[in-house]
Amino acid sequence: MNTFDTHTTIISNEKVAEDHYLLRCECSDIAKFARPGQFIHVMISQGAGLLLRRPFTIYTVNGREITMLYQIIGEGTKQLSKMRREASIQVLGPLGNTFDIAKNPEPAILVGGGAGIASLMLLAVALRAQDTPTIGLIGAQHQDRLLSVDDLEEIGVKVHIATDDGSVGHHGFVTDILTDLLHKNDLHQPTIYACGPHGMLAAVAKITEKFEVPTQVAMENRMGCAMGVCLGCVCPVYIDDKRIEYQRVCTEGPVFNASDIAWEIS
Amino acid sequence: MNTQNNSLNVNIGGIRMRNPVMTASGTFGYGSEYADFVDLNRLGAVVVKGVTSVPWSGNPMNRIMETPSGMLNAIGLQNVGVDGFIAEKLPYLQDFDVPVIVNVCGKTVEEYLTVVKKLTVAEGVAGIELNISCPNLDCGGMSFGVNAKLAHELVKEVRTKTQLPLLVKLSPNVTDITVIARAIEEAGADALSAINTLLGMAINAETREPELANITGGLSGPAIKPVALRLVWEVYKSVSIPIVGMGGIMTGTDAVEFFIAGASAVAVGTANFVNPQASLEVVDGIYTYLENADMKSIKELVGSLKIDV
Ligand SMILES: Cc1cc2nc3c(=O)[nH]c(=O)nc-3n(C[C@H](O)[C@H](O)[C@H](O)COP(=O)(O)OP(=O)(O)OC[C@H]3O[C@@H](n4cnc5c(N)ncnc54)[C@H](O)[C@@H]3O)c2cc1C
Ligand SMILES: Cc1cc2nc3c(=O)[nH]c(=O)nc-3n(C[C@H](O)[C@H](O)[C@H](O)COP(=O)(O)O)c2cc1C
Ligand code: FES
Repeated sequence: MNTFDTHTTIISNEKVAEDHYLLRCECSDIAKFARPGQFIHVMISQGAGLLLRRPFTIYTVNGREITMLYQIIGEGTKQLSKMRREASIQVLGPLGNTFDIAKNPEPAILVGGGAGIASLMLLAVALRAQDTPTIGLIGAQHQDRLLSVDDLEEIGVKVHIATDDGSVGHHGFVTDILTDLLHKNDLHQPTIYACGPHGMLAAVAKITEKFEVPTQVAMENRMGCAMGVCLGCVCPVYIDDKRIEYQRVCTEGPVFNASDIAWEIS
Repeated sequence: MNTQNNSLNVNIGGIRMRNPVMTASGTFGYGSEYADFVDLNRLGAVVVKGVTSVPWSGNPMNRIMETPSGMLNAIGLQNVGVDGFIAEKLPYLQDFDVPVIVNVCGKTVEEYLTVVKKLTVAEGVAGIELNISCPNLDCGGMSFGVNAKLAHELVKEVRTKTQLPLLVKLSPNVTDITVIARAIEEAGADALSAINTLLGMAINAETREPELANITGGLSGPAIKPVALRLVWEVYKSVSIPIVGMGGIMTGTDAVEFFIAGASAVAVGTANFVNPQASLEVVDGIYTYLENADMKSIKELVGSLKIDV
């Protein structure tokens, strides 16, 4: 295993969209081993009533540095967003499994809702590095919350945008765009990679099941240890036609085949 | 740090340990998960996740929730079952020079006995910790731990089936813990573990839904330390077998407080989730405390609470 618990300081922590921040820090060991889909477990402040660490995907890797892109949700991320350069954090990682890009897809379709797009950036980089044609479907509540469009376009991802209020791009959900794309039926051998709110993932799974397109989803769940011991982070997975097993999002996941998940009880 | 020195050696109900720090059941998996962070040979003992007679699938999600300085869990004892444990998990632990204590749970007396018998003949089990205090089961589990008569009967039955050192884990969810503790001591237990989690609940005000699928769950972490210390102190005054103290231990100083209250060893639980090296840091912290206090043995500290009488 190559898991490290690195005490480090923040290099920068900047607002990149409404309620969203990009944090940069040096974690050379984690940077060295990080793979697409993997995450870190971050200790924000010990002793201030917040006990547990918070899980975040590794957004980008640059030499010895890693970044994470996060949304303010509750107390932990609020405190994190107020931390400045030089503030210290403890970062455990890299954790979890990775997206599978073994069968070169044509094209790869990335579906990201909200901060979920963070889980797809390292994947996009890996796909583009092997010249896989890649389409990004990015959903946000509104224009001011849109993330990562420039970063994705810069590496040659063809981006489509959907916003809930229609302030930019398609007025509606990313899943509408996905359905249109699959309906056109001119894609050679597509694979879908999705991350976002649970409801969006369930919707993506339903659509791609209908079109019989292989789909990998990065799941989220509350985490205790992120090391596979507390069994707090599980999601229900079909191990055959009938039997369901609770598997750990931190260890067997976060990436699962959408068709393996028992969405009806998840 | 030189913690090889024998000032930390203890014997808990017949289990000899190089130091008095163990991992709390359910917070350290089966020992292999933290291999990158914890050299098992530096621990006093490894206590593994509760095992049952057959594999259990556990509770639906959500299973955990953070609360102020603590967390609630309702895992529902998801585990591989005793046969799976012996075949797949135990061999890994046998490569280390550390006592392995297996936490055992069941819904009926028969289920407990099945597991105990199998563990007794398995290679590499140093002791058994009977979990009669799991708050997340419909029947069995905690019901044995909140009733002195049932607890006595169960422990007595188990005692006839095994010569392995037998620890029994107490529930804090009782009116008078000393009655249960004495009943268990009389039934032949070698040591007591105190405490398991406190039954609790969290509600989402916005949705009016419980935060846990199981509705209630067990509270652990620093939030419960004051309760745990009080219960260890009460048990210490009422029994003569050793106590393994636990509940919210994050640092060496926390552990020292448990020794002063009457514990002969301690277990580190939820702290492992926050800091994978917590158990080793607790060992070092205790050692430093003894050095600074000029004590030759951890035993000098046990039950050393200073009170005016
Ligand atoms: C594998 C993984 C990767 C993630 N990657 C990202 C990312 O790249 N960017 C991003 O913005 N968010 C990400 N999340 C979600 C992020 O962990 C939560 O938004 C964050 O924990 C919220 O903490 P809080 O204290 O602000 O919220 P609170 O609601 O106050 O937190 C209370 C508790 O619930 C947990 N929690 C709340 N929401 C979530 C959630 N959606 N998932 C898991 N735990 C949650 C917290 O960790 C904490 O234990 C990821 C989650 C997982 C499991
Ligand atoms: C996620 C989780 C799982 C647990 N599983 C078990 C278990 O299987 N058997 C058991 O006896 N205790 C179990 N416990 C209780 C702990 O061993 C310990 O008694 C309790 O958490 C108090 O210590 P702490 O505050 O240091 O965590 C569990 C606790 C947690 C948090
Ligand atoms: S978070 Fe503890 S097992 Fe996944």
